[in-house]
Amino acid sequence: MDIVETTPKPVRADASKTTLPQPGRPIPSRAYPGALIVVEGTDGSGKSTQLYLLKRWLEIGGYRLHFTEWNSSPLVKSATRRGKQKRLLTPTTFSLLHASDFADRCERQIMPLLQGDYLVLADRYIYTAFARDAARGCAQRWLRNLYRFAPIPDITFYFRAPLDVAVNRILSGRPKLKYYEAGMDLGLSYERPESFRLFQARILEEYDKMVDTDNFVVLDGTLPVNKLQKQMRDIVASKIDLKRFAPRSQEPE
Amino acid sequence: MPDQEKDKSNPPAPPAEPVAPAAKPPSADQEDSQNFFGEPLVGLDPSELSGTLIVLEGLDGSGRSTQIALLQEWLESEGFAVQTSGLRRSNLVGRDIDELLAKNAVTRLTLALMYATDFFDQLEHRIVPALRSGTVVLADRFIFTLIARSVVRGINRDYLTGLYAMALRPNLTFWLNVRPETAFAREFKKAQAISYWEAGRDMSLSHDLYWSFVRYQTMIKREFEVMAKKNSFIELDGESSVASVNKLLRQRIGEHLGIRSTKYSPSSALAHLWR
Repeated sequence: MDIVETTPKPVRADASKTTLPQPGRPIPSRAYPGALIVVEGTDGSGKSTQLYLLKRWLEIGGYRLHFTEWNSSPLVKSATRRGKQKRLLTPTTFSLLHASDFADRCERQIMPLLQGDYLVLADRYIYTAFARDAARGCAQRWLRNLYRFAPIPDITFYFRAPLDVAVNRILSGRPKLKYYEAGMDLGLSYERPESFRLFQARILEEYDKMVDTDNFVVLDGTLPVNKLQKQMRDIVASKIDLKRFAPRSQEPE
Repeated sequence: MPDQEKDKSNPPAPPAEPVAPAAKPPSADQEDSQNFFGEPLVGLDPSELSGTLIVLEGLDGSGRSTQIALLQEWLESEGFAVQTSGLRRSNLVGRDIDELLAKNAVTRLTLALMYATDFFDQLEHRIVPALRSGTVVLADRFIFTLIARSVVRGINRDYLTGLYAMALRPNLTFWLNVRPETAFAREFKKAQAISYWEAGRDMSLSHDLYWSFVRYQTMIKREFEVMAKKNSFIELDGESSVASVNKLLRQRIGEHLGIRSTKYSPSSALAHLWR
């Protein structure tokens, strides 16, 4: 299961983009001109490094882009911190807080920028919630409904690394795993590293289930960084009309 | 002002159109289960719940909190343990929502999801534990207000019923029905002011505070009417006196809990509510 899975996905699947449950604001069927690229994968799969390099490539080329990260909305931050510190979160409220965070970024950044013809890069997207919250026991049907307002990505890169590789990358670099990060709330094990491993195994399983249903482009997270980046750039260039996002007018020096 | 004229002729909000659903959401209409609107709550066995969940719904100023204070005293005098719940009272995000509302920097979907977080935090940490121990829970508002507020702001109804699929079905849901005009008078009397949110000012219905309040609350009332049948609301006339509404409430609750005599008059501490 190496290389690239190039499931041909219509680059502009018009109907699939009208997912906002917000008919109060007019969002026509061809909802926005921008493009959305997301990376997904377990912790330690290498996705953030790769998205950073892709972003650098596009930035240096002068393309109009916006980068957004999972769980980063300032609006929801204090609630998430409190919930985690005091261990108040259940699978349901954990999921809802992250959905609130995502909704805030979606309504205030992702959607407006897609409408304003930007290239949006997302480090983790709704599939993180589908994998992680399902691993915590939330019902798939409920989760899918919860994120129905999210625009569907033009490309979803799934960085797949074998469990041991990914887990060892995290455990060697991060001496202390946090409570929820390790999935301690699931009661899988009293030992954090062991709990983390079991939790990650569940998440990996959930990700794998989505490869076909959600048109993931699977990349091998164990390849050398530069090789992987080359694959990623080739796919982006072939699937997205990057010229659209290039600087509008080149001023001659 | 020409603007105000325009406001009057404008339809309040476009009706929520169905969107192409990624997955069919569970519907609050269908009886998936006796205990929940749709999915069960993660890790909950409903057979453990021996308490009674009683919900009071109604507009701002419909008298819910007054009635709940009286009902709590009555039930306690009858020997029942009582727990209360209400919006924005969760430890997890109650204060955060207050801040968001004060800053007015929040968009409607984010706010809807924060309210959902607040709801489920209270459901899991307050309501369910109380019901496990056989307590009577008096809920000042429930998912119906939350759904109504979002629907009138254009969020898809199916989306919202799916969101609240894991909410427990109340044993009794009372709807204190009042006219928005009455609600306005009562709310104004309470605080000598009408707040930004209870007047629905984020919806640009009218520049006029009174009309904004009345239009917004009328839209909410219509949503209650839609939900009333499907969710077997017990409708009470919220315009009649506190004492007579309370009597009807006691009768229905007494019937449900097997309390034979529902005679009650408030203690001196609550006598001021009994007008």
